[in-house]
Amino acid sequence: MQIAEPLQIAIEELNKLPGIGKKTAQRLALHLIKSEETYVDNLLNALKNLKIKLRLCNRCFNLSVEEFCNICQSNKRDQQTLCIVEEASDVIAIEKSLEFNGLYHVLGGVLSPLTGVTADSLHIKELILRFEKEQITEVILALNPDTEGETTSLYLAKLIKPLGVKVSRIARGLPIGGDLEFADEATIGKAMINRITL
Amino acid sequence: MLSSIRLQNFRRHTSLNLNFSDKLNFIVGGNGQGKTSILEAIYYLCTTRGLNSKSDIEVLKFDEDSFEIEATFENLSKDSVRIFFTRADSKKFYFLNNKQVNKSSEIIGKFPVVVLTPADHSITQGSPSERRRFIDSVLSQASRIYLNSLIDYNKTLKQRASLLNLFREKKTRNLLTEIDAWTEKLVISGVELIKQRTRFIVEFNKYISDSYSKVMNGEETPEIIYSSNIQETEAPLEKSFFELLNIKKEEEIKKAVNLVGPHRDDFIFKVNSINLKTFGSQGQHKTFQAALKFAEFFYLKEMTGSTPIFLLDDVFGELDSNRAKKISEYLRTVGQAFITVTDFANFSFIEREKSDVFVNLNNRSLIYA
Repeated sequence: MQIAEPLQIAIEELNKLPGIGKKTAQRLALHLIKSEETYVDNLLNALKNLKIKLRLCNRCFNLSVEEFCNICQSNKRDQQTLCIVEEASDVIAIEKSLEFNGLYHVLGGVLSPLTGVTADSLHIKELILRFEKEQITEVILALNPDTEGETTSLYLAKLIKPLGVKVSRIARGLPIGGDLEFADEATIGKAMINRITL
Repeated sequence: MLSSIRLQNFRRHTSLNLNFSDKLNFIVGGNGQGKTSILEAIYYLCTTRGLNSKSDIEVLKFDEDSFEIEATFENLSKDSVRIFFTRADSKKFYFLNNKQVNKSSEIIGKFPVVVLTPADHSITQGSPSERRRFIDSVLSQASRIYLNSLIDYNKTLKQRASLLNLFREKKTRNLLTEIDAWTEKLVISGVELIKQRTRFIVEFNKYISDSYSKVMNGEETPEIIYSSNIQETEAPLEKSFFELLNIKKEEEIKKAVNLVGPHRDDFIFKVNSINLKTFGSQGQHKTFQAALKFAEFFYLKEMTGSTPIFLLDDVFGELDSNRAKKISEYLRTVGQAFITVTDFANFSFIEREKSDVFVNLNNRSLIYA
């Protein structure tokens, strides 16, 4: 089967995006052909600006337009509490919860020597420097509860605790509004172990 | 239960349809007639993998481009599983009730299966890794939590070994702190594994003595002893684990290998308090292997609530008639089983029942008796 080359190229590029299969890529490409030109221009600009206008915050490595991100610049945030996350996407997730009003520090990954990631390749040196410059009294570790995330939490706790800072890790358990019967055994097991006295 | 099976271009079978009994199913045939292939197909359909971890290409009939196998199960509901493999794609396609499923995990575990084959001699006679593999497989099938712990621990082992290797090349203080973090993770996950294994062995020993007494005349007492390099003394497990790691630290760094932890566990099989591996007779080994599989069968039945299918490949040929008779009688209690035999005349001690199915593969013809 012969497909016109520009369409073929567009499908292949879209197919490289996470979560986009061959069929979806084709649907998206065909949809764009039918769309108005202004829409395609806007989309192009939006995509380009992701690379041109966005950078990493100089302090916390969150995504930012300026040297420091909105959260770091805000004077309404609690400057003494620091939440450590893996990626900028985790900042967005926690911000949506509206339950945290402190500052963040984005590591840019977790320890994984198998894939060549050691502490040097993460923003850990910068994290330690923040304890010297800022008045941080409490750290919340909000890393994923997998093998690498847990080890990274253990590692950071080893580094931070001697500085006299309170260190905690976010709790794990059942999702809110979820049905107990649909939760997997490991989650229920952990929720049992980490139960709370009423 | 497995009610029927259909094979196409699977090993020696160009096209084969078989209906089964919910009791004993004997598959009779000389060497090379394709007895084991039938068990293999059943195993494939339950686990999506070959027996003795053979590759898909190996079970494809020589000179053919694809194989297809299908099974119909009748439990509370009627289910069909179909697996289709093509040489061109070098890929298997799975169908559950004629609907394609993408992940093999949607089939694995739905129809539990227990196999006893001559290759099981390695469980009692081989290295500790063979015994760990057996124990891990039983426990993982029964407990999702155990499977998760095992995956987590194995990942930690790989990461830590890789870091030890890095440290060997580039000795920095920073990396040493990182090793400490992975060590702590190793202890946390490892202790979890040890605790679950300890609990399991206590429970599994009851199943072993029960099965062993059914296969033997009750004069011998079997036992499994969990032998870990980390022992609970007055100190908690974590402490013993850390202490041992400390002792081995330099050696671990020198070799860049994880030397301490449950990945080095062994399970000692004993009969009348005597070590089976060193002092057991051939007969005792055979009996123990059979008892292990029967125990696995009843343990899984109890824990998962569904009755596994029992596959026995060429087991009777290696046993003396007294043990073989015992086993065949015990088999009557499990429900459905599939048994390959070379020549039925040699096994006159096996009591036949009307409901049993006999599939005779001799002379390439198929005779139900």
